[in-house]
Amino acid sequence: MAPFETPWLTFVAWIVIAGSVVMAILWSVLRKPTENDR
Amino acid sequence: MSELGIHALVLAVYLLLLVGIGLLAARRMRSSEDFYLGGRSVGPWVTSLSFVAAYFSSVVIIGGGGFGYRFGMSTLWIGATNVLIGVTLAWMVLGRRIRLFTGRLGTMTVPGFLAERFRAKEARVLAALVIGLFLIIYNVSILKGMGHAFEGLMEIPYTTGVLLAGAIIILYVSLGGYLAVVWTGFFQAWVMGVGLILLTVVALKAAGGLTAANTALQAVSPGLVHTPGEWGWAGLISYAMIVSFGVWGMPQLMVRFYSIKSTSVLRVGTVVATVGGSMAVLPYLDGAIARVLHPGLSNADLAIPTLTKAVLSPWGSALFLAGVIAAGMSTFASVLIITSGAVVRDLVQKGLGRELSERRAVRYSRIVSAVVGLVSLAIALRPPALVLVLTAFSWAAIASTCLWPMLFGLYWKRATRWGVLASMGGGLVTALVWIGIGSPYGVHGFIPGLAVGLVAMIVVSAVTERLPEDHIARVWGGSPDENGTPASTL
Repeated sequence: MAPFETPWLTFVAWIVIAGSVVMAILWSVLRKPTENDR
Repeated sequence: MSELGIHALVLAVYLLLLVGIGLLAARRMRSSEDFYLGGRSVGPWVTSLSFVAAYFSSVVIIGGGGFGYRFGMSTLWIGATNVLIGVTLAWMVLGRRIRLFTGRLGTMTVPGFLAERFRAKEARVLAALVIGLFLIIYNVSILKGMGHAFEGLMEIPYTTGVLLAGAIIILYVSLGGYLAVVWTGFFQAWVMGVGLILLTVVALKAAGGLTAANTALQAVSPGLVHTPGEWGWAGLISYAMIVSFGVWGMPQLMVRFYSIKSTSVLRVGTVVATVGGSMAVLPYLDGAIARVLHPGLSNADLAIPTLTKAVLSPWGSALFLAGVIAAGMSTFASVLIITSGAVVRDLVQKGLGRELSERRAVRYSRIVSAVVGLVSLAIALRPPALVLVLTAFSWAAIASTCLWPMLFGLYWKRATRWGVLASMGGGLVTALVWIGIGSPYGVHGFIPGLAVGLVAMIVVSAVTERLPEDHIARVWGGSPDENGTPASTL
């Protein structure tokens, strides 16, 4: 069992949500602006 | 003050605010680009939160809670795929190119983009018809969700609730156009978010915390905490795909990217939309908690209203009701303006070739918004019994038609006019036929619709004539080099 007595496969759903937030932050910080950005 | 008085007061203040925003937006509107896209001037916070508000409707809050109640914690996966695929990846993959391409092609609607990008008039008419027809069906189910929320939480008769909410939306959309839709959407996203967080915190406390809730659910049935649990893979994956990947073909959401001020809006917008979109998981969690606190409800869709009444104070439940109404209204408003665009711009102006002055185009758009709203309202007063089935049906039909043409239109230069028409027709017909024969194997028609649309796009494009290089170069924003290859900067 994962934290909060959650089965692992169900708990991964929470990780996916947290991962999406981290991915969005990294993408917006690391993405280089191109000349097409207006 | 009585409970009903508190509900009425909160609701009245809230609805007045919405009409005020509509009036403010109306003062800033001069052209049809203002009506449909807010003059392409919208910033990151308003774009991202109005995207979230248009995405999650009353159907998701009430129906999602019902799924959580019936199937337990595995439904958290629907919230998770909503965030990852429906929000974060959609913003990263689609946002920038949609803004750039539609700006270069000068199109304001999804059917318009398909027609100009693929030089296919038929794509415009087919997409506009599908959008016009199936979004009305979606409208009806949203109104129905709001009517039940009024009924359950405020003891207002269903018809009065539907009429009240419908009339306010039609008023501010036809007055204020897109700006009214995005500004009210921005405001409504906050109301939804606060309402959902409040309910979740209090409900978790009542259940003794997440660990206690999971243990109690496990005791009822282990299937309520495991994935895929009681639902099974076919149902869980079908549903998660349709409400997450389906977003990529839904015009009321794609249009958010048309209207941004510049592509730099996406930088902050993607983060805000992802954080805001995370609220998608809460109705499912709340529904599962309701199963612990109120076992034995006759109808799973009553899970959220029952939980709200039991755990929140009258002020809290008034706020939550406002959140549900907000979710319904913002989605309905977004859908209304898209339907009006499909009818006025794509069918009347471009499809039938009617020349309209800017002033007349705005007036027609207002009238069509009001008429479409009233038609939806009239159907919602006596909704067909299968309206929830029709919601998934309408998403499946629209996304099966528009998803691949949008995505390939943005990323594949080799996609051809015939490829796109084959994909649209094949995807739509397959989805409808699959649903018509009773969705074999528990798989929703959206999945086979997508598969056929994908194959048709690739195979037919490969064997038909390419679009002219100079056209592709213009769309991609470069000029062809001496070999005729577009010098893409993307």
